[in-house]
Amino acid sequence: MSVSLDDVMKSAEKNQEYVARTLEKLFVAAQPGTVYSPPVVSGNYTVITASEVMAGGGFGIATGFGGASSTTPNSGEQNASAQSAQPSGGGGGGGGGGSSARPVAVIVVGPDGVDVKPILDISKLAIAGITTWGAMLMVLRQIAKRRRR
Amino acid sequence: MTRLGEIVQLQTHQGTPTTSGNITVTPESQALSLRLPFGGFVWNRPTAIVIEVDRERQRIPIVDVTRIAELALVGLMIGLILWSRVGDRKESKK
Repeated sequence: MSVSLDDVMKSAEKNQEYVARTLEKLFVAAQPGTVYSPPVVSGNYTVITASEVMAGGGFGIATGFGGASSTTPNSGEQNASAQSAQPSGGGGGGGGGGSSARPVAVIVVGPDGVDVKPILDISKLAIAGITTWGAMLMVLRQIAKRRRR
Repeated sequence: MTRLGEIVQLQTHQGTPTTSGNITVTPESQALSLRLPFGGFVWNRPTAIVIEVDRERQRIPIVDVTRIAELALVGLMIGLILWSRVGDRKESKK
């Protein structure tokens, strides 16, 4: 299968356009609509939740192109020159991304006024606590070992 | 500098106002965006709400207590490590 330089360049341009479109979708997370929920009305009260949103992504695309050289020992001169004239190319790509959202506060609008109630994420605190204290214990253990020497 | 401004952007946005009775609430958020040729990162967080009652405006900040508690834990850990290192040096000097 022969691949021309034009085909490879067109494919690379299409991939770049696809990456640009996908990245623009990523930056939709920067809008306030992603942080604040639509208001929920119940009787005289209106509730809005506020969250912290993080999103990230990356893509990589590579294309290569070069001339083929014939190394077949039994090929004739005509066959060898025809094979060396055919260009060859290749390409590849990959990408990844992730996002997270965490509730921060709840805004309650009622007859008494507006109340902002912060949300304490116990699970996240527990994980952070275990991680930091585990790292601290390892460091203190190393310090204690040095003291014994 | 302009190029850095194109790559890193810190923007404050105001959301859609919500009206309940005579109270209008306008949410505010702050977004940090990092735009690279083949990647990007967005960090969007709520910062405050602006309350308007009878033409009086008041800005109430939104406090992220979970983040404060996390930073306090990390700060406590760093403080304890530094304290133990300082104690270690004093002992070695003796």
